[in-house]
Amino acid sequence: MNSTFSVIFASFALAGIITACGSNEEKPEVAKEVLDPNSALNTNFDGKIFSIPSPMQTAMLLQEANAPFNESYLNSIDNVENYSTEMKRALNLGIYGTDLGYLAIYKQNSLSLKYLATIEKLTSKLGLEGAFDKEFMSRFEKNSTNQDSMMVIVSDAFKKSDNFLKSNDRKSVSSLILVGGWVESLYLACEINPDGKNAKITERIGEQRETLATIIEILEKYNKKGSNDELIAQMKELKVDFDKITIDYEFVQPKTEPSKKLTTLRHKTTVKMDAALLKSITDKIVSIRQKITA
Amino acid sequence: MKKLAVITAVLLASVTMSYAQDCESLVKACEVHLKGKNNSFVSDGQVYTAFLDREKAEFKTTFFGGSTYRIAATAGEDDTYVIFTVTDTQGNLLFTNKNYKNSTYWDFKVPKTIPVIISTELDMDKKVTGCAVMMIGFKR
Repeated sequence: MNSTFSVIFASFALAGIITACGSNEEKPEVAKEVLDPNSALNTNFDGKIFSIPSPMQTAMLLQEANAPFNESYLNSIDNVENYSTEMKRALNLGIYGTDLGYLAIYKQNSLSLKYLATIEKLTSKLGLEGAFDKEFMSRFEKNSTNQDSMMVIVSDAFKKSDNFLKSNDRKSVSSLILVGGWVESLYLACEINPDGKNAKITERIGEQRETLATIIEILEKYNKKGSNDELIAQMKELKVDFDKITIDYEFVQPKTEPSKKLTTLRHKTTVKMDAALLKSITDKIVSIRQKITA
Repeated sequence: MKKLAVITAVLLASVTMSYAQDCESLVKACEVHLKGKNNSFVSDGQVYTAFLDREKAEFKTTFFGGSTYRIAATAGEDDTYVIFTVTDTQGNLLFTNKNYKNSTYWDFKVPKTIPVIISTELDMDKKVTGCAVMMIGFKR
């Protein structure tokens, strides 16, 4: 009996603590020892934080480099019916999300709406209807001629999904969406620049080295019952090539302008990658992407 | 005894919900800082949430060249609870908002791509423990 009362007392104590967290009081709050890091309360917020740069940025670079739009690069919307597992759905949601960003940037309005409908199917099957709800669809349709607005709307929807998944302890799904999005952005960059003639795109491909390391870390962290084993092995094979890229970096003190709340970075960096290495990276990412989208 | 166990479970559930709601309100506040008045920053599609408890939350990301990034962070009604610091992978300090009254957001003009480490902590003089939310956005 005593232990039951202790649990209830602890519950009230915790309730008090949490209420305090949301209050306006400026004084320092609870002591560290009061919160048990192993309690259910903290499980949504434990572990390492991972960050993958937006795949939309690589799609933007492709347009800036005057690469012509090519629908054949995209994952066909007909494939969506083949994705029956949570893992496949999550990875391909990331892939279709990047494709949607690519379509938005190239102002492919009618195709965008078809990809959006495909994304909606996947999000529904993943229990993410909230992020791609009627309000989102309506915003998207109304702004389908405005490239910048479309990018904001798509990013907002993915942010909403990410937040929903993380706060509901579905970080593995969230991570697979990020991985799929990254794979597609690297695939697009490699397909558009197979011979490495576009220096900017080649450089951007090489600059994915750090992100690839994070991708492997994420897959290892959320590897439920070895479900990511094959993908991890493929990514590690890809990393062998990325590790051969030479990136020279020289630190230079940044310049900060407090009145503008702006810091301008001034470091120097060069990326060196030969055509053979680019070809090997391209072959490997094509193979990885093929297995995900099949 | 059984009743007590049920009451306990309900209490714990309500506590967890209250906590989640607290974090959720922070997400909304952080979005406002990220977008700013002109709504010119596009989110990277991720929400970085951490329960900070006298420790730093640290993660690595890449800022691509040719973009301007915004980092926004909040941990409560008083927006200046969070200290965030950006370093390169060699540990050179690029920026900390600690030198600028814990500003809730800061912009970074990035001419050349750079992998960075972003660390977040609560300002111990103001808040010792709690949920902190960070977002990253970019514009061309």
